[in-house]
Amino acid sequence: MVRFVLQRFLGMLSVMFVVVTIVFVIVRVAPGDPAAVMLGPDATPADIEALRTRLGIDRPLVMQYVFFLGQLLRGDLGQSIFLDMPVASALLDRAEPTFFLTLFSILIAAGIALPVGIMAAYRRGTFFDQSVTTLTMLAASIPSFWLGLILIQVFAVRLGWFPVAGYGGPDASLMTRLSHLVLPAVALGVVSSALITRFTRASMLDVLNDDYVRTARSKGMSEFRVVLRHAFKNALIPVLTVIGLTAALLISGAVVTETVFSLPGVGNLVVSAVLRRDYPVIQGALLVIAAIYVLINFGIDMLYLMIDPRVRY
Amino acid sequence: MLKRISLAALASATILAGGFSPAFAQERGGVINVATIGELNTLDPMIATGDLLGMVTQHFFETLLTFDAEWNVMPLLAEALPEVSEDGKVHSIKLRQGVTFHDGTDMTSEDVVASLERWLDVASRGKAVAEKLEKLEAVDDYTVRITLKEPLAALNALLAFNNSAAVILPSEKIADTLEEYVGTGPYMVKERRVDQYLQLVRFDDYAAREGEPDGFGGARKQYLDEIRFVPVPDANTRVEGAIAGQYDYADLLPVEAYDRLEGQEKTTPLVMNSFGWPMFIMNNAEGMMTNPGLRKAIQAAFNSEDMLAAAFGKPEFYAVDGAMYPQGYPWRNEEGVDAYNQGDVEKAKALAEEAGYDGSPVRILTSRQYEFHYKMAQVAAEYFKLAGFQVELGVFDWATLVQRRAEPALWDIFITHSPFLPDPALIAPLPASYPGWWASEEKEKLLNALNTEVDMDKRLAIWSDFQKLIYEEAPFYKVGDFSALAAQAPRLEGFEPSPWPYFWNAYVQE
Repeated sequence: MVRFVLQRFLGMLSVMFVVVTIVFVIVRVAPGDPAAVMLGPDATPADIEALRTRLGIDRPLVMQYVFFLGQLLRGDLGQSIFLDMPVASALLDRAEPTFFLTLFSILIAAGIALPVGIMAAYRRGTFFDQSVTTLTMLAASIPSFWLGLILIQVFAVRLGWFPVAGYGGPDASLMTRLSHLVLPAVALGVVSSALITRFTRASMLDVLNDDYVRTARSKGMSEFRVVLRHAFKNALIPVLTVIGLTAALLISGAVVTETVFSLPGVGNLVVSAVLRRDYPVIQGALLVIAAIYVLINFGIDMLYLMIDPRVRY
Repeated sequence: MLKRISLAALASATILAGGFSPAFAQERGGVINVATIGELNTLDPMIATGDLLGMVTQHFFETLLTFDAEWNVMPLLAEALPEVSEDGKVHSIKLRQGVTFHDGTDMTSEDVVASLERWLDVASRGKAVAEKLEKLEAVDDYTVRITLKEPLAALNALLAFNNSAAVILPSEKIADTLEEYVGTGPYMVKERRVDQYLQLVRFDDYAAREGEPDGFGGARKQYLDEIRFVPVPDANTRVEGAIAGQYDYADLLPVEAYDRLEGQEKTTPLVMNSFGWPMFIMNNAEGMMTNPGLRKAIQAAFNSEDMLAAAFGKPEFYAVDGAMYPQGYPWRNEEGVDAYNQGDVEKAKALAEEAGYDGSPVRILTSRQYEFHYKMAQVAAEYFKLAGFQVELGVFDWATLVQRRAEPALWDIFITHSPFLPDPALIAPLPASYPGWWASEEKEKLLNALNTEVDMDKRLAIWSDFQKLIYEEAPFYKVGDFSALAAQAPRLEGFEPSPWPYFWNAYVQE
């Protein structure tokens, strides 16, 4: 077990090193220049060059890379070119909306997908099952930003129940801020639920005909107990994987949905940074996102151990 | 529609002029949310240009001079317009006394000199002045003197403009990169959360000018407690937020949203006519467009009407107009406009042949971050093809386009746009340093005359010749005028539409 954790940790470091290096090279090889973006459309080439020197982005790439690695080793993600703040603070600023948006979206997605997927598998071939199959296909095909716009129209503009966009003003309480997340979380949750429903159904179908389920039934257990305690527990491993990956995807940025709802989340930060060529933010954010991916995958592996005693590393 | 705006403007003007005083009008208090097209890349209006930057920062930074409602230069932090010596080289600027910065310190000539030195050093417009500067000095605590090597007629306009702006900062806060945003404006920065809001609060020690408001000048009234600029990059979200009443003012909306905004309870559409002009800049330094004959062929192929219709939809939102200034500006003239909006592909073909066109593709740079640029590029490309040109349309994000356009080897035409600037000397593609690099002998002569002549009538005549030359040499092509659509909550009153909207003088009427 300790060896496994150690191996995973070293693997995580090497993955992040590769990610950091690739990102460092790609953002600088790609065309576009933060100095040009900052100075605006009327800037002359001489103005742009002068600002490049001030920002230190005119130095040779190797020097910039060594400087960047040195910063990382000191635990410093660098200073944003545009935001007047360290990259770590910028990411922390975005952590709250992104964390709660991910949490609510996953709760909504799992809240829909798990019961519906279990029922669809249990009633395989019935009208309910076929309807679920059709609806999940539909939900998977809907772009979340489109659903977001519809939700804005109905629940924000017509009914006035929720704010249209943003994350609250300077005096907004936590509850007010969270109320801004309801519509985007529903949009993302509904779309994400489609995949989880299909995985749950397929996984349940695999286990419902297994011998131990038949044995449980023959022992006179209630169907509720058989399905939830015996079948579902064993069907959970692939479902957990897909929930974990969906969560990782949402943390790294539900970019389009965040843009439609003007949410100051991590996805929004990364997209703005790419458009502005804010190199330190792109690098820092992708490093953190890579770490989150690896950690979530690590967490899922640990959950496997808890759920299925047969799993050994 | 236009009648509605005129009436609203008239009503506001009447109220502000004290013509009548409706009950509860102009009371202090209230917070407004202003939805802008996105987050600012910087809050330093000296180092960068950009309409959004000017719009936001003019609330907390001020300049020595500004513009009135008729686009005449008038004093702001200066006591009066500069006194100019007979030879036009020495400008003495008396400063207002009792003006306080947001940090509580008094503004003196030391701050003004330090600020102008930074402006001359880092601002693109300031650098243009620096080339002609002999001396900048504080004469006494409240007088500053600028001595030039030669007259510079546009100096006042340059000192008044709100981006690449000569804003006045406290001398001790001046640095390469500003760490605090301390100005003299009627509102001051309280909190900025990037991509969330910029919170401005009333500056209680603001020293307003006496008299009545007049455009950007005159008295600046501080009715509102707070102004919050909220970046909302998605245009549809700005529209829906305005309709839901979340935003009191939503900036730069897609013109297609006009019908949706009309008849709403919590917002009304606001059309700002002749907001700006799109232009196709030709590469006068390298490649096929250095051939004057090919530039004239391209000019003959442009069909502005189709391009504007594709880009802006309804005719209410654009004007097919070749003059460099719309009606209402003293700079307007009709010189050279016969060469505008020809859309004559046969003539273009003949001119291209005559100029020895070799079949190389015309490389056009455009960006979908400004969708109207892209739509115009598509229409222009079709006309160029009909005229026998090969076309290569390069679609990039704006940052990439800005970088590529600085490389003369990479393009033949790029697309940009500008608001109508108060003085033609400020028009971006006129100096030879701007990408496009228009540097003919005749142009340099006229630009020099425009910059140095101080007599207004003579300057108007020079500008007429300049416009004629623009059509003769075709260094760039003005596509037409476009209007902008915004949304304003009915509760927001006292607001005057402007290319750079400002919210001092505005108040909320619940």
